[in-house]
Amino acid sequence: MREFKPLPAQPAPVKTQGAVAWLRDNLFYSPVSSIVTLFFAYFFIKYSIAMFDWALLSADWTGTTEKDCTSEGACWVFIKAWSQQFFYGSYIESEIWRINLSILLLLAVIVMSFTLPKNIRLKVTIPAFLLLPFICIAILDGRILGLTHVKTDLWGGFSLNVLMAAASIIVAFPFSFLWSLGRRSDMAFIRSVSIIFIEFFRGVPVLSLFFMGSVMLPLFFAEGTNVDKLIRVWIVLIFFMSGYMAEVFRGGFQAIPRGQYEAADSLGLGYWQKILLILLPQVIKVSMPNILATFVMLFKNTTFLLIIGIPELVQTLQTALSNSYWLGGHTLEGYLFVFAVFWASCFSMSLLSSHIERKLDTDNRN
Amino acid sequence: MSVIEQQANNDDIIVIKDLNKWYGNFHVLKDINLNVRKGERIVICGPSGSGKSTMIRCINRLEEFQKGSLVVNGVEMIDDVKNIEAIRKEVGMVFQHFNLFPHLTILENLTLGPIWVQKKPKDEAEATAMKYLERVKIPDQALKFPGQLSGGQQQRVAIARSLCMAPEIMLFDEPTSALDPEMIKEVLDVMIELAEEEGMTMLCVTHEMNFAKTVAHRVIFMDGGEIVEENTPNEFFENPETDRLQLFLSQIL
Repeated sequence: MREFKPLPAQPAPVKTQGAVAWLRDNLFYSPVSSIVTLFFAYFFIKYSIAMFDWALLSADWTGTTEKDCTSEGACWVFIKAWSQQFFYGSYIESEIWRINLSILLLLAVIVMSFTLPKNIRLKVTIPAFLLLPFICIAILDGRILGLTHVKTDLWGGFSLNVLMAAASIIVAFPFSFLWSLGRRSDMAFIRSVSIIFIEFFRGVPVLSLFFMGSVMLPLFFAEGTNVDKLIRVWIVLIFFMSGYMAEVFRGGFQAIPRGQYEAADSLGLGYWQKILLILLPQVIKVSMPNILATFVMLFKNTTFLLIIGIPELVQTLQTALSNSYWLGGHTLEGYLFVFAVFWASCFSMSLLSSHIERKLDTDNRN
Repeated sequence: MSVIEQQANNDDIIVIKDLNKWYGNFHVLKDINLNVRKGERIVICGPSGSGKSTMIRCINRLEEFQKGSLVVNGVEMIDDVKNIEAIRKEVGMVFQHFNLFPHLTILENLTLGPIWVQKKPKDEAEATAMKYLERVKIPDQALKFPGQLSGGQQQRVAIARSLCMAPEIMLFDEPTSALDPEMIKEVLDVMIELAEEEGMTMLCVTHEMNFAKTVAHRVIFMDGGEIVEENTPNEFFENPETDRLQLFLSQIL
């Protein structure tokens, strides 16, 4: 009979978990990787300390004029002093509540579209969304409501970026949906008109569209009518946006299995019932990431409005930078501020859209 | 064929005459002639690509045909939307892949047609829906979404969805082909019950030969876009006349 002989004990295996192991696996797995890691760590730490010091520690926070910026660091006084201009443009100061009200209305409708009871949600939010741009224009303009008339030249700042983008996408939404249906239509005339429209607005830079809106579009209006520049640009944005969104929707329609169309047909649903009850909800669901991406693009494109002299945020910043009382060179602070404002808005929209996606996901809901 | 001529009388709810269909140059359906009596249950089988699905899909115009005529419940199938709507009202369909609407609950799937097409009040539609969900033995799933149900359950919901429209004719397009084996029986049981209790006119494309033997009045064999042979289930399986059917049966039984 053979005797039992245990094998000699093995050394403990190298740790594969924990912070040390992670560092070794990812940053220090070879001499070269260690050198690279240390090299980048050195510069990262060096510059982030410098940046931190510049932006926070030795920055100027208090004061109202250029003279208060005495230190080496960032001059946040500049942003503070111009903040009203940055957000509201030259809008009459005593009427600024009207801008706030418009933005609050916009937020309220967005919140409503999540929180209202399901049976009335669509019935309330769809008309609310569609009316919103016109209500906001009425509030901001003031004439119809008997308020002080504020000319559109005075509108500006970041609120203009937000409201222009929101008003454009809301109106563009139903149009782009119709264009995408048109492009899929069996009727050759409707189909070709849709294709021409979509491809034109997708193929032309938005900058040149803005120029066309401000210079060429007036030529098409009847003589004597003077359509406001902002309204003309709004129309351009709607066209531009609906061209893009039409393609987003078309992609969505193509992602819906044929069986859905057939099931709707076999139940005897009519064309519009089939589109609105069966396809549209599913199309919106699959297109949600692309709808958001398109909207973020449009939102950022509103900064191009500066080209035709509309005082949105970036244009206002440039005015501020060239102001003779603020010639201390605050370009960096100014653009960092613009980055921060746009990034924060776009990132919140991303969060909102992933929330919507999760809400719409009925495939695995328990 | 004599079988058809004998049955050609006023009870015919579907009359298909010399129906031809092409996909481009490909001749999918060749001179199809078929009369279906009210309450008759027909099983259609044949190798894949034989045109059997295409044929029943012509009956509610999920497919168009180029030549011949098709009359359903006295309404002729022509391009007029009114005729198409009238025919679809009488014809329910169950698909291979269920095709439930994934964004609606089971109950909403069932009430959609009655509410929007038949303009029934919501509570009446829901009562009918629950009645049929009980028929297919899943009333407890009413508030779930299709994605949460098993294939067999989804197919039973799809059957209930069609029944809610109170159709005269039910078309089944390979209703069990996409199901796991253990779920086939639950769907077939529902279909058998339906056949025996409701006395509904049924056209069923399937390869479930036991189902054909149990419920069918007539079994049709299609191959290459033609109806090659039709007979009562007994004769069909015991004494196949043509070589093609003999070959087919030897392959599947």
